[in-house]
Amino acid sequence: MASHGVRRVTANQVRTEQARQKELQQITEYKDLVDLVNTKCSYKIAEIQYTIEVLALTTKLLTENPEYYTIWNHRRRILQQLFTPPSASDSSIPPSADKSVLDFVSDDLRFTFSLLKQFPKCYWIWNHRRWALKAGESLLQTSIARQLWLAEFELVGKMLRADSRNFHAWSYRRFVVAQLERIPASSDMTGSSTDADKSMVEAEFAYTTKMIKTNLSNFSAWHNRSKLIPRLLDQRQADEIARRKMFDNELSQIDVAINTDPWDQSIWYYHQFLMSTLSPTNPRDSAIMLELNNHDRLRYYEQEIGGIRDILEDETDCKWIYESLLQYAPFYLEIEGGTKMFTTLDMREWLSQLRRLDPLRKGRWDDLERSLSL
Amino acid sequence: MSLVSGPGRGGITDDRLPHELRLFVDKHVCYIQSLDTRKDELEYWLTEHLRLSGLYWGLTALHLLGRPDGLPRNEVLDFVMSCMHDNGGFGAAPGHDAHMLYTISAVQILATLDAFGELEERVGGGRQKIGQYIASLQDTTTGTFAGDEWGETDTRFLYGALNALSLLGLLDLVNINQAVEHIQECANFDGGYGTSPGAESHAGQIFTCVAALSIAGRLDLVDRDKLGGWLSERQLKNGGLNGRPEKKEDVCYSWWVASSLAMIGRLHWIDAEKLTKFILNCQDPELGGFADRPGNMVDVFHTVFGIAGLSLVKYAGLVEVDPVYCMPLAVTKRALGKLK
Ligand SMILES: [Zn+2]
Repeated sequence: MASHGVRRVTANQVRTEQARQKELQQITEYKDLVDLVNTKCSYKIAEIQYTIEVLALTTKLLTENPEYYTIWNHRRRILQQLFTPPSASDSSIPPSADKSVLDFVSDDLRFTFSLLKQFPKCYWIWNHRRWALKAGESLLQTSIARQLWLAEFELVGKMLRADSRNFHAWSYRRFVVAQLERIPASSDMTGSSTDADKSMVEAEFAYTTKMIKTNLSNFSAWHNRSKLIPRLLDQRQADEIARRKMFDNELSQIDVAINTDPWDQSIWYYHQFLMSTLSPTNPRDSAIMLELNNHDRLRYYEQEIGGIRDILEDETDCKWIYESLLQYAPFYLEIEGGTKMFTTLDMREWLSQLRRLDPLRKGRWDDLERSLSL
Repeated sequence: MSLVSGPGRGGITDDRLPHELRLFVDKHVCYIQSLDTRKDELEYWLTEHLRLSGLYWGLTALHLLGRPDGLPRNEVLDFVMSCMHDNGGFGAAPGHDAHMLYTISAVQILATLDAFGELEERVGGGRQKIGQYIASLQDTTTGTFAGDEWGETDTRFLYGALNALSLLGLLDLVNINQAVEHIQECANFDGGYGTSPGAESHAGQIFTCVAALSIAGRLDLVDRDKLGGWLSERQLKNGGLNGRPEKKEDVCYSWWVASSLAMIGRLHWIDAEKLTKFILNCQDPELGGFADRPGNMVDVFHTVFGIAGLSLVKYAGLVEVDPVYCMPLAVTKRALGKLK
């Protein structure tokens, strides 16, 4: 009911009678399976059959249709039942064929992994993985639970190698990292470890560096980096010199990237992020430098505006250059010390270039012209 | 079959427009009406878990096309009520578990059909029950909302909760300030919002966060120029819109991006004419319906968001859409006005 990227079949490619009969047969088989699972799991009847056999039926059905969320719910209810060993007083529940909680959780991780390879964007599969791990964790030894999360961390790395922009995979990575930070490694189970020992922020920062080196256009990686740097600096208890060094390194890195390929949107967005941290109203939780005065700010604006203008010598048809110049110009003018590095005439020229190169956003350039009083 | 709209409606002058600018209204109506007759296709059964939302998409598309009676009102109402659970939530179809997503669709359909009175007749205290179900899904530590008892949280559910509760006139059942604070935590430097704190900006999530802020009366928290700039960059040369930088265009983003721009008063920052052409190009001119991209398979999801996108950019003859709710503006005005 919501398909993406599937080519349309034209009206004259109607099904043959044979194909129709085959499809009707498939429908009957599918509906029979649905009815069977729902009957066995329906909580309206007194004797719900939460058994290994019914669990296997949900596996079969979810393999055919992983979007069927109610079946995932059934599966979780079955597993919750199977996780609890039958008490001697209650002989109505059959034993779980000697399978341990770890066996069940491992099976579900394998099962959902095979589904994710086919359906990497299906919310319900990702959800079920989270649930299986969380439910397992509450019943397993901490060291085993940690092993499972570590394996999960490996897996999400694989998923991101396959599609480095997969939205679900990036969210899931942040989630798994948070779990690993929550559960300490066995060596520091004594409780002597500090938050910094458990934190993975350094490793995650290094991971974004690796991802960006592979592909500069990976905005997901740049985004994660923008969230990690403020945390990283706080955790390192970085002084102002170290903070400035971090900022300068990031800026020179992104300046090189801009010079290499000024057409890449992702790079400009990261540049904007860095520049946005210069603002006096920048929130503390996304701060890089903490002690900035207007002199510092002016120096950075001058340096960046100058650097971006230099690219114009080789590249006059890239709209991002003009857009950035006009974006940073007002900040510069707000604290400008008298020695203007550009004139209103320059700004008018940048704007007319923008209009020429980017007519789609004409309304925006009209508004910009008004707001800058050009 | 005539290409003009039903009696009493002016404006749609299809047969005088060049082919590429025509909206095939009757084809789309037929397509939507045919959706429930496709029981001999496996796809019909494989998508049962979306049925109630599919009904909301189809019904809304018909209303925007000016054919509010395109589906039999009583049958629609019967089906909606058959999805309701004792706890006040709705599943996607009878026998499917209750979930926030389908509860929102149910409320949107009831509002569109002006059927809250009939809800009370069929289920005493029904309105309150639905409100209580939605309110029970608010996470009282973070302010966000879960989709169901299993606890997955997402700004999609937060928006849905505020959408449905406002239509029901029951916003006071939840902690709005805490929900607003949560949205603030999902904000990014580019002016956009993600699924949860720390997540990358994404046009779909931006729609949910901006619309939720709009319902909460807190659009003052949005950096309109920054967000408007980011959203406007989603338009590609072919006129279509994408959801994130370096991604492909897709008709459903015509809605997520353009409605967000409309809510912050920046819709004129993209080229409406080119967007119109792109959306129209995604129609199936023979059998009706819209696809994600030209030449692809149509579905009712892209059909409603394609038509709603056209309505936003004022395609002649279409009923005006409310960018906050993706419902006809006259419907939301009636529902929200009645409750004041
Ligand atoms: Zn789409």
